[in-house]
Amino acid sequence: MAVEQIAAQGVDLAKLGAGIAIGFGAIGGGLGIGIATKGVVDSIARQPAIKGFAFTTFLLGAALAEATAIYAFVIAFRLAG
Amino acid sequence: MEHWIYSINIAGHSAAFNLDTLITMWLTMLILIILALCTTKNISIIPGKLQVVGESIINYFVDTAKANMSEKEALKHSPIILTLFFFIITANLVGQLPWHLLHLHQGELASPNNDINMTAAMAIVVSVYYMYYGARRKGMKFFFHGFSMEGIILTLVDWLEFFIRPLTLAVRLFANILAGELLIFTFVSLCAYVLPIPFMLFEILVAIVQAMVFTLLSTIYIATAVEETH
Repeated sequence: MAVEQIAAQGVDLAKLGAGIAIGFGAIGGGLGIGIATKGVVDSIARQPAIKGFAFTTFLLGAALAEATAIYAFVIAFRLAG
Repeated sequence: MEHWIYSINIAGHSAAFNLDTLITMWLTMLILIILALCTTKNISIIPGKLQVVGESIINYFVDTAKANMSEKEALKHSPIILTLFFFIITANLVGQLPWHLLHLHQGELASPNNDINMTAAMAIVVSVYYMYYGARRKGMKFFFHGFSMEGIILTLVDWLEFFIRPLTLAVRLFANILAGELLIFTFVSLCAYVLPIPFMLFEILVAIVQAMVFTLLSTIYIATAVEETH
């Protein structure tokens, strides 16, 4: 009911949905990359010799965590355009 | 955001091709063939610069494969892994060139990976490849893990993974490249002069990282399919 009243007043619900999608998607992506960075900094602090392997694994983990946020970005763009 | 569609009609069956994706894909193939011929023309023990770059990339991926599989298997499966890496990194970097100087009447030239068809094709190839080699090496035990409780859970998770793995491989690469292009468009529409430059540099980094992620994940999928059970 409230949704129909809001839509009757001319608010474009698709664009609102796009904003909500990218908003929630960015939370997951940012948290995931932050936790991955914590992991890599802890491991280099414990054992500095592992720097090469840790950096590569960090990039892999950050790209995988970022992918979910990018799914949300693509859906948001599709809704808004 | 539509592609330039080219439809053909053979004996009553019609097919439609995204011709702008095909054009940049052919350009990628041409660049790879020319680079390969130039690199392998004068192979010597004392390598020239191009040979050093090629050998270091090949050594990195073959070493990663050997860390996950046995040596014989790593050498057997390294052609597809390295082909995937070289094609994806060249395709992503071709998309960062200034293609908007050329105007098409419909659609636009960009990286071939901004089309879900391209990335889905590569993901399906990797999936069928690891399923074939897993089935050939392990037989029925690859598909079914026994009637115990953990066996049933492992079987269900494996069957789910058959669908999830190609889906996420394809959509991850497609979404990253497409989202990069959309981001550049948004910033160019805001302020076209200096603002997009850091994002374009970031897109070059994303291009290289996504190629590596696709290849490393494919290596891990093939390795888990052909590993010896203990």
